[in-house]
Amino acid sequence: MKVELITKVVCADMEEQLIKITDDVKEAVENSGVKDGVVFVISAHTTAGITMNEGLPCVEKDLIGKLDNMVPYDDVYAHNHFLPSYGATGGNSPGHIKSMLVGNHCVLPVKDGKLVVGHAQDIYFAEFDGIKNRKYYIEVMGE
Amino acid sequence: MIIDTHVHPALFADICKDKERLNRRCDEMGYHLMSPFPLEVLEKQNAFAGIDRMVLLPLDHSTRCKGEVMITNEEIKTLVDLKPDMLIGFASVDPYRKDALEVLDHAFSELGLRGLKLNPAKQRFYPDDRMMWPIYEKCLEYNRPVTFHAGLSWEPGTLCKYSHPLRFEEVALEFPELRMCLAHFAWPWVQEMAMLMIKYPNVYTDTAMMYMDSAELFMEKVFHQDMGQYWLDHNFQDQVMFGSNAPRFRPVRIKRGLDSLSMRDDTRRKLYGENAMRFLGMEGR
Repeated sequence: MKVELITKVVCADMEEQLIKITDDVKEAVENSGVKDGVVFVISAHTTAGITMNEGLPCVEKDLIGKLDNMVPYDDVYAHNHFLPSYGATGGNSPGHIKSMLVGNHCVLPVKDGKLVVGHAQDIYFAEFDGIKNRKYYIEVMGE
Repeated sequence: MIIDTHVHPALFADICKDKERLNRRCDEMGYHLMSPFPLEVLEKQNAFAGIDRMVLLPLDHSTRCKGEVMITNEEIKTLVDLKPDMLIGFASVDPYRKDALEVLDHAFSELGLRGLKLNPAKQRFYPDDRMMWPIYEKCLEYNRPVTFHAGLSWEPGTLCKYSHPLRFEEVALEFPELRMCLAHFAWPWVQEMAMLMIKYPNVYTDTAMMYMDSAELFMEKVFHQDMGQYWLDHNFQDQVMFGSNAPRFRPVRIKRGLDSLSMRDDTRRKLYGENAMRFLGMEGR
């Protein structure tokens, strides 16, 4: 079995943003040499996730908006206290909770050397604690 | 114009190429589990937060660090040259250096740095010690302001007895023309800070406070409970500047805390930029 791991870097323009990475995953799959198998897309962070949904701006707006309603920025969070391990006060509890809700990865099939993805499906890096350089992994596994 | 007057560029990637030096700097300054980032990311952060300019503060306490300067004046100059429209550089000097005045001459005249940052708690000096007088005179000679760390310092190896606001009053009295900022609102000595600002018009402060819950709750506590609701609008609107203390606190969050406070529109304009322009001697630029 062949296993190919690619690390990608992404940087949002806002604190919270759904960044479409479908084309990057397609390219990684096609360059991997794997003909039949699966691809995992995995976030390297605890305040950013990976999710899939329909790639329309209105859907993105609803997803971000509803997550904000569920996990408001100005709620009271136990994590908002001084953290000597960082030398800073925690302020990103909403990011931790939202990343848990969307999950840290997605999995898709690879067939004939190409990503198999539904016509409405897009893959997103879901930033909930920007703005900073972030990493995610694309791991292609198969024959 | 929105100016963040209190930024420590310890993690700006262009001055973080030596990893061992970076580790020593982070140990000295108490920054952990945070990574260097390029100026392009900083530009994005500032664009999102609506911040136009940032004042970069170096740190020289080399007589306590075997001669090593943790963030040098030359490194500040390097950063300013990379983004001159965004970054404003201050100098630092360890007051115990024998060549302290020469360092300042070089920083102000050759490097073009716009002010001086001193940290009494870290550098272990009393601001009203007479040994400091020539340094203040040098700042006056070049018409450069001084930003002092004041109040609580969480950094390793600091003693807050050196940064109590009352230790600055004699400086304000003896050097009335010297523009001086006692940073961090001298927290927790907010009332003493207010007392100094009432007496001395060239004494400024900034909002770079170490909040313990959220920036919104902390600003409410300081500006509307520790001080009367209208003190800022009616007494100190010309003396308080926006500062974040990045990277310990994100500028966008400190600004959001200030945005949540009720205040007059003209007070807000002054807080976010106009007071800094006057403090920096950049009015009309």
